[in-house]
Amino acid sequence: MRQSRTRIRGRTGRLLAAVPLLVAAVLLTGCGPKVETVTDVRAGEGTPVEGGTATMALPPAATPNWIFPIGAPGYLATYNSAIQDLLYPPLYTPETAKSGKLTTDSPRNVAEKPRYSDGNRTVTVPLKKHYRWSDGKPVTAGDVAFWFELIRANKDDWGGYSPKLLPDNVEKLQVLDAHTLRLRLDRAYNPAWFTANQLARFKPLPRHAWSKKGESPKKVFQRLLSHAKQLSKFDSDPLWKTTMGPWRVEKWTTSGSVSLVPNKRYGGPDKPHLDRVVLKPFTTAGSEFNVLRAGGLDYGYIPPSVMAQSEHFKKTGYRIDPWESWGITYIVPNLNNPRTGPLMRQRYVRQALQSLIDQKSISEHVWQGSAEPTLGPVPAALMEDNPLPYDPAKARRLLTSHGWQRGDDGTLRCERPGTGEGKCGKGIAKGRRLALELLSQSGSTETSNTMQAIKSSFSREGVRLDIREQPLNTVLGTTVPCKKSEPVCSQWEMGFFGTQGSWIFPVDPSGEQLFATGAPSNMGNWSDPETDRLIKRTEYGDDPTSMRDYARHLAREVPVLWTPNPAYQVSVIRSDLRGIDQNPTLSLSPQDWYFVKKSGDGKDGRDGKDGNADQHGKGAGR
Amino acid sequence: MTAEAASPTTGPTVPAPAGDDEPTATPSLARRTLAVFTGNRLALLGAGILVLLLAFCFLGPLLYHTDQVHTDLGAASLAPGSDGHPLGTTDLGYDMLGRLMHGGQTSLEVGLAAGLLATLFGTVYGAVAGYFGGWVDAVLMRITDAALAIPALFLLVVVAAMVTPSKPVLILVIASVAWLSPARLIRGEALALRSRDYVHAMRLMGGGGARAVFRHIVPNAVGTMIVNATFQIADAILYVAYLSFLGLSIPPPAADWGSMLSSGITYTQVGYWWLIFPPGLLIVLVVAAFNFIGDGLRDAFDVRLQKN
Repeated sequence: MRQSRTRIRGRTGRLLAAVPLLVAAVLLTGCGPKVETVTDVRAGEGTPVEGGTATMALPPAATPNWIFPIGAPGYLATYNSAIQDLLYPPLYTPETAKSGKLTTDSPRNVAEKPRYSDGNRTVTVPLKKHYRWSDGKPVTAGDVAFWFELIRANKDDWGGYSPKLLPDNVEKLQVLDAHTLRLRLDRAYNPAWFTANQLARFKPLPRHAWSKKGESPKKVFQRLLSHAKQLSKFDSDPLWKTTMGPWRVEKWTTSGSVSLVPNKRYGGPDKPHLDRVVLKPFTTAGSEFNVLRAGGLDYGYIPPSVMAQSEHFKKTGYRIDPWESWGITYIVPNLNNPRTGPLMRQRYVRQALQSLIDQKSISEHVWQGSAEPTLGPVPAALMEDNPLPYDPAKARRLLTSHGWQRGDDGTLRCERPGTGEGKCGKGIAKGRRLALELLSQSGSTETSNTMQAIKSSFSREGVRLDIREQPLNTVLGTTVPCKKSEPVCSQWEMGFFGTQGSWIFPVDPSGEQLFATGAPSNMGNWSDPETDRLIKRTEYGDDPTSMRDYARHLAREVPVLWTPNPAYQVSVIRSDLRGIDQNPTLSLSPQDWYFVKKSGDGKDGRDGKDGNADQHGKGAGR
Repeated sequence: MTAEAASPTTGPTVPAPAGDDEPTATPSLARRTLAVFTGNRLALLGAGILVLLLAFCFLGPLLYHTDQVHTDLGAASLAPGSDGHPLGTTDLGYDMLGRLMHGGQTSLEVGLAAGLLATLFGTVYGAVAGYFGGWVDAVLMRITDAALAIPALFLLVVVAAMVTPSKPVLILVIASVAWLSPARLIRGEALALRSRDYVHAMRLMGGGGARAVFRHIVPNAVGTMIVNATFQIADAILYVAYLSFLGLSIPPPAADWGSMLSSGITYTQVGYWWLIFPPGLLIVLVVAAFNFIGDGLRDAFDVRLQKN
């Protein structure tokens, strides 16, 4: 287009430009490069070997962009915290117990079990003594106190802050000795909840390396924050060189590729076996799949659309292992958006829209069975029933009974404005169209198709939905809690960031982070006194009905639109890469990974040939 | 005023053969052009393909009714021939044949509009630069050179990512990078045309620059314009496909051949060939058709190939 051409060049040039689109398709449909197969080592077979590099794929369109272990709003993506925890592990790490239940009782914990006293108002936390920083200095209770001082002085800049929870609910933090902490709480809490959802967030930070003498916590935090925003220096900035986890950063590129190497001074029991772990970013699931198929990944995933390919991978030395998450997935409506906030503040509108989402069909056809409906604010396994199943007739009734009629363009318009029975509701003017815009994450065919199916279903009943797709980081950076007057609140009406689950819970799936008034991840600005009361009940007492009541209430209130919750990923793992435990809270433990070689062949397992895949073994037992 | 200057027709004038005193019936320029064009089999083939594709995209939906707005997950990814779907269905249950017609409308409309807009703007820009010369030419052409230095695809991706793609936006975005080539081409023509006697005569009679550009330069460069326009359209259709392939297409339920090909590629590994080959083939066909027509028109406007 940009140059004048001769006759020959013009014709052939354009044809040559058009033909690659088709040729690419031809190549991809079966004439592509031969796939290199890997070693066939069955479960329980093979001799573990030390060393080697494992390459793992990051989720589509996910670019790790935050190394500072105190997450700022907009930088709370799971892949960021998973990497941070490898460098700066928390006091307690959630893991799946042999019973299959999630627990915080892990051998890799930095602290011993906490001791609750004084009617559950005082907690004593003894640290394990063998942990050291990478510069050789011991990890002390003062380092944990340093983390607490930073978040207390800068709670508004901390993405994990919820009013009345950490740090507000700790009246006093005492360092009893080099390895013991004591917390005086503002009231009695449910010990199981406090350990799982509050203490598990505490992490030691290197006070000796990050704090200067006489500098206030506010100033230290701002200085650290300025370093944390320099993505290009994550692998060279001396600040991030002092770590205490099993790994340290070798390379971190601005495009999101992260290379980790073992921290030789790591004091935990789970010392790394590999020489290096590389986390590779991909713009789309399709591009990841192509690299995986070409043998460029040891640990990747297949998009649900090509689930039929799982047999191919099994035959070429990989195993398939769906990674189920302890989470829920939803579309967040921005209740403070000046334009559509008044619409979505109406419970009947939210319920009608929820009744138009055919989660079952979408899970089955779009996600090829690798997703299951989200039924409420807790994982589906904990829900008793689905109070708002797909029911277009009910949605129609709800909308027409509140004064909505189809206009000339087929979109519903408010014909009976005002409040009260049978009226559209507060803030909705006569003639107002039921039209919404959704900011959805790009990079996934399944997500795009889910949104198209929802749009189509909405449109049949006269609800207009415009979809705008952007990369995940853009969506996460835009869909933040906001006040009506803030410009960012006008930038988004509804948001979706759940290609691999919208929210992954800690051990206890309570909603203090998600749906409590003013909670950091309450993106849609949901505020409801009853919800707050029910959440508090789950925090304070151990009554098993409290979680059920909370779940029931929000499932009917629909603070967000529940959508199918996909498996975090359908993992494809080399059969000779072992020790992988796919944690439902999505934390990573590559220190447990190791390669095996075939017994007696004298070769590294990675040099093998064709063979069948096996089931994965656990590395923890090694 | 010479006879040549008095009749500013398209293309250079061919002097009458020496010694030919008898006035003979010379076919009109249009007839001669048409004769050369129809003598080019590839050009005719291109025109035929184009007519068929236009009929397929714009008349087809009148005869073959499908719902291209609402998804039908129960009928997703059906193979060709199944249940009243001659070309199968897409991953969201849209009838594939109907979707090709629907998508073709977008591809052709955006391609045609962007190609024509780019040619029109480029022509005026180049004619002004070439006719006025001097510092005007220097400034305008340096702008063109600077813009040419930036890879078009990069610009398109950046702009399309900043705004929500729609038909008018795509047309403007593509035209905004496509006008550079016709601008340079027409500027070259204008440099030659401005020294013609009829332009001098017009200026001696008090004609202004605008009259010279719009009444003499542009009409005399019309052959170059038309030929270039066909190539611009072909390129624009390809750009629509590229952008769609990169995920910057008009949001669904709208479709175009590029986005259809892009979403079909997802299913290459599971053998859903009907999602890939039909849109791919149609892109190749339409681009080839415009190129054949462009080549034919170039020959047709070349007076050396015209027979009196």
